[in-house]
Amino acid sequence: MSGRIMPLELIDKCIGSRLWIIMKGDKELVGTLRGFDDCVNIVLEDVVEYEIDEDGTKHKIELEQILLNGNSVALLVPGGSPEN
Amino acid sequence: MGEGKKKDVIDLAKYLEHGVRVKFNGGREVTGMLKGYDQLVNLVLDDCVEFIRDPLDPNKITNETRNLGLVVCRGTQVWIISPVDGMEEIENPFLET
Repeated sequence: MSGRIMPLELIDKCIGSRLWIIMKGDKELVGTLRGFDDCVNIVLEDVVEYEIDEDGTKHKIELEQILLNGNSVALLVPGGSPEN
Repeated sequence: MGEGKKKDVIDLAKYLEHGVRVKFNGGREVTGMLKGYDQLVNLVLDDCVEFIRDPLDPNKITNETRNLGLVVCRGTQVWIISPVDGMEEIENPFLET
């Protein structure tokens, strides 16, 4: 059986590609991963931020470059998007 | 006081290549095949599926799902890990022998 995949290594491989980030609340972001640190604070470029209201409507905001606080990051999906 | 030897509370090696259900702080719930993990309980899940919650009652999950594929779960937000096919009892991690 092949070795296990280390989670932070998988995120590292994603540097330069699109990354879909799902927060613990009803917020998601997609952006190009520029880098991250041990706490998984993340630098993203060309970001689309999705917010989901109680009635299910999504709001999109576009941002050029952000530093995302890793405190509330729950899931990271390389190359994915909530538009699927 | 203890000697400070780090011992994992849960042995994830036995769940590698198995289906696990992961619940997060905040109420999200996913299942997927465990492909990797680290000491901080960050996880790698393949063919991950998220169970969508009822917008009116975030504590209730609907039958709706969405496919996420290969994902990393942040150990800081992981609340429960259980095998997809049931519950498993672990040794009491608070007993010092």
